[in-house]
Formats: sequence, structure tokens, C-alpha cells
Amino acid sequence: MAIATSQPQAPGLPRRANVVRRMVLHWADYLYILPALAVMLLVIGYPVYYTIYLSFFRTPPDLSMDQKIFNGGANYAVVLKSSSFRDVTINTLIWTVFSTVFSFVLGLGAALALNREFVGRGIVRGLLLIPYVISAVAASYVWRWIYHSDYGVIGALGAQLNLSHGPVNILDNTHTVLGALIVVNVWKEFPFAMIMMLAGLQTVPDQLHRAAMVDGAGTWDRFWHVTMPHLKGVTLVTVLLMIVSNLNGFTIPWIMTGGGPAGASDLWITQVYQLAFGRIAFGTASAYSVILFIIMMVLGYFYVRALGGKDDEASE
Amino acid sequence: MSNATAAAAPRRRSDGWRWTGRVYLVVLLAFAILPMLWMVLTSIKTQFAALQYPPEWWPSNPTISQYTTLLDPTSDVGREFLTYLWNSVWVSTITTILGVIVAVPAAYAFSRFRFPGRRWLFYAVLLRNMFPAVVFLIPLFIMMRWLHLVNTQWSLVLTYLTFGLPLSIWLLKGFYDNIPVQLEQAARIDGATRFKAFILVVMPLSSPGIIATAIYSFIVSWNEYVYALTFLNDQSKLTLPVGLQRFFTEYTTNWPGLMAASFIMSVPVVVMFLVLQKYFVKALTEGAVKS
Repeated sequence: MAIATSQPQAPGLPRRANVVRRMVLHWADYLYILPALAVMLLVIGYPVYYTIYLSFFRTPPDLSMDQKIFNGGANYAVVLKSSSFRDVTINTLIWTVFSTVFSFVLGLGAALALNREFVGRGIVRGLLLIPYVISAVAASYVWRWIYHSDYGVIGALGAQLNLSHGPVNILDNTHTVLGALIVVNVWKEFPFAMIMMLAGLQTVPDQLHRAAMVDGAGTWDRFWHVTMPHLKGVTLVTVLLMIVSNLNGFTIPWIMTGGGPAGASDLWITQVYQLAFGRIAFGTASAYSVILFIIMMVLGYFYVRALGGKDDEASE
Repeated sequence: MSNATAAAAPRRRSDGWRWTGRVYLVVLLAFAILPMLWMVLTSIKTQFAALQYPPEWWPSNPTISQYTTLLDPTSDVGREFLTYLWNSVWVSTITTILGVIVAVPAAYAFSRFRFPGRRWLFYAVLLRNMFPAVVFLIPLFIMMRWLHLVNTQWSLVLTYLTFGLPLSIWLLKGFYDNIPVQLEQAARIDGATRFKAFILVVMPLSSPGIIATAIYSFIVSWNEYVYALTFLNDQSKLTLPVGLQRFFTEYTTNWPGLMAASFIMSVPVVVMFLVLQKYFVKALTEGAVKS
């Protein structure tokens, strides 16, 4: 077997011994990555392990962790059977799907419009990117003020355009609150999709477009048959990253509504936070986290595949 | 049908697309900019003027008193705000510097050396992007308590380091991949050690990548909220994003003040971003669109 593989430096040696020998040979190389590795292990490796471990225990409210009691899968049962789990899951799905789709479509449109030369293009791109750069906290307060039930601009604009009879209560209304939060999230996130897709568009070779034009393809045909196939990889990575960041989107709902009113804007992530630091139920919150974590890992697998496949072909 | 129409049609059609694109950009610009404009307009109103219905679209008595109060170290509000501002600057700067120090050698090793397990380690580093911050809060909080770092800014520095690291390593690896090994070899023939060749030859060539990752780390640390909310409770230690919330609850909803504070908080990152836009965009898109 070992002979059949085309590794030149491993003639006949068993694979395992070979790896160890090479690790010893390369010991100094590991020094370069040691600091990075140490930080990552401390802040990521250990928490992953400890979250999973903790999810099988009942933890006391005073956080004295030596008093925790093993309770098997009871935490998972509590989470999955809780009356709010279904509603929160639906909210999370709506939040994630709509935020991702709208951000992507708005961003792709902007990228296409920005992909041709015109005067002031750099300025337009810069201005469009600002919402992405400013802090989610500042954005949440600004939008909370815009949505304000008495003095908000939205209500006043509505009245001026004869759409409503005066101030409207958007954030305290169970029907509108989630939509209103999604608007804020899209406002914050579409620039990311825009910049990613713009970078992707710039890799589409000009010759292909010209060739298609010679063949008589219209703008739409060229977009669909030349541009889009080229953007498949970028699209995949962008959408995956946006799904993950939306599933993690804590700041906007937390500051703007805290999950209310009546849980209408409660998401998985705000639930976890409430369980952990509101009700100090670390065990239950950990179980909730592990469920989230598994979903993330599945997405992470696709992310690494989308990124890594290309890298392997290029470097090896 | 005839050749004449076939030649004319594409031009007219692409003109149509161009105008669609322009109109679309204008609408999108309005969506992106108007909320921020409203923030600025509100911040220069008096409290009385802000609480009007219908609102004053343009402030009748513009005032910068909110800004002078916030930045005045002799007033209570100002002192508190300036403390938060300073804390944010400190945490973000230290995180950025440490991030570069840790990321550069790691990226270099991933690019140049062929040690076993390097690809696995590399993917593990990249996967950081996939982890939800809140999922890590509980164990990290317990760990920070155990390390006696709760309520110190070092807990934030340590945590924030891991936000920037994966991206920094990924981005810098790309840079090092493109720097010819021969350059280093030439330096080593001239008698430089591997480390010296790295510092004198490779580092300067990769400075655009270092700038890009530094900006990214700074902006992410500056804006971070969840960990700061959980790890800090001593008022004198808070960073701006959490400090802002205290303003909101303590001084019964001074909206112009809150908008002014939000504005001041946004200025450093927006300015930094606009000046170094090219690098920041590179930091975001590199990797996903490697051709």
C-alpha cells in the first residue's frame, strides 16, 4: 500500500512511524504556530469541550460548579419539550432565511450595478459599506429611535403619506416586530454580500462576456449563463457565512426588543443568553448551545468544503 | 429580424440595464444613508425638539451641546463617557497588536513549512468563523472566573484575539504564498538566519496584508458587544458598546445624547474604514474568491 502511494519521501516506511518522524523533524515549525494554537485552544477548544460536558449536568444557581449534579439527557429533554421551543425555532428560521435572502439579493444587485465603471463609483461603494462597519449596538439604537412608537420617523412618514393615522407602534406589536428587526439586519448585512459578490464578479473573464455577446447573447442570458456559473463558489461561501452570522445575530434583537413582546422576536441565541445569564441555568443553556453547535458544525463542514476544495487544487 | 434591428437592440437594451442599475443604486444609497443621517440630525437637536410629533425634519435650533457634554471631562456624563471611550481604544489597540504578533508567524508557517497536520490545523483555525459567540459565553465566563479575569479587560483581549486570528492567518498565508521563496533563499545565502530573512525580507513585503488584518481586528474588537456585556460589570471597566446601554437606562432616554454618543462611537471605525477601504475589502473577500 505504502509503495503504491506517490509520496517520494516515504519509501516502504509504515505511514504512522513516518508521520511521527516527520513531526520530530519539523519540531521547530510548530513553534511558529504555537501562540496562535494556544490561544485558539484556550478560547475555543476548551469551551467546546466544557459546553458539551456541562450540558449533562444540573448546575446550581450560585455557579459553584463543584456542586453540579449529573442528570443525563434531562437538559436536552427540557429544551426540546419546552413550550417556547417551537415558536423560537420558527422565529429563528424566519429571521435567518429572510435576512439571508434579502441581504444577498440586495447585495448582488448592488454588486452588478457597481461592476461597471462610472464617475464616483468608489464613493458609492464606500457609502454603501458604512452600515456594515458601524457597530451593531449603535445601529440598534438608531433604528430603535427610527421605530419609536411616539416620535419615530417611520410613523411620521406614514402619516405624511397618508398610510397611517399618526405614530405607529412597530416594535411593540407581535405581528410587525420580527419583520422590523429583519429590516435592520438586512440594512447591516447587505454590504457584506455586495462586497463579496463584487470581488467575485471581478474574477469573471472579460473575454467570456465578449464571446457571448458575439454569439448574440443578451444581458440577461450573459448574466445567467456566463456570470452566475462563475460565481457559484463565492455565492456558496457568502450565503453560508451569512446564515451563520444570522443564526448568531444576538445584538440587534437583544438591544432592540430583548426578545419581546411576548417572545415574538425571541431567537435561539437570545434564548440561550436568557437561560444562562437571566435564569442562571447554565446546564440547560449548555444543552441548547450544543444543539445550536451541531447545526453550525454541519454548516461548517460545507464551508470548509467550499473553501478548501479550491485551495487544495491550487497548492497541491 | 433584419441585421439593422439586431445591431441596435443590444445597445438600447444595455442602456436600459444601465439606468435600472443607477436607479437601484440611488434607492439603496437612500436606504443605507438615511438612518445615519437621522442619527446625526437628532444628535444636534435639543431634547425638547427631538420629542416632537410630527418630528422636525431639519433641526430649527441646531446645537452641539450634546457633544460638548459628552466630551467634557469635568461633567459626570462626560467623565463616564470618556472612560468608556478610553477603555474601547485600549482593548481594541492591544488586541490588534497582539493579533498581528500571533498571526504573522502562524501564517508564515502554514504557507512555507510542510509539517504534518498542517492542513487539519489550518481548517480548525478557519472553523472559528462558524462558532456562535453566545455558545462560548458560558464556558468562557466560567473559565475567566477561574483565571480571575472576569471584570478585567484582559478577558476581552484574550477572547477578541480569536475573532481576528483565523482571518488574519488565512489572509497572510495568501500573501506569503505569493512571495517567491527565492527572495528568502537569496537572503540566507548572504548569511541571514531563517528568522532574520523572515523579519527583513518577508515581513515588509506582506505589510499590506498586515494592515488589512489589523484594521479588521480593530473594527471587530471596537464593535463587540456580547462578551463585553457578560464579562464586565464594574462601571469603570466598560467599553463603549456596553457603556452606551447604561446611558440609555440611567438618564431617562436622552435621545439626542444617545445619538451623539452613537455617532462619536461610529466615527473612528468609519474614518479608519474610509481611509483604508481597499485593505478592508481585501480582508473581507480574500479567500472566498481566490481564483
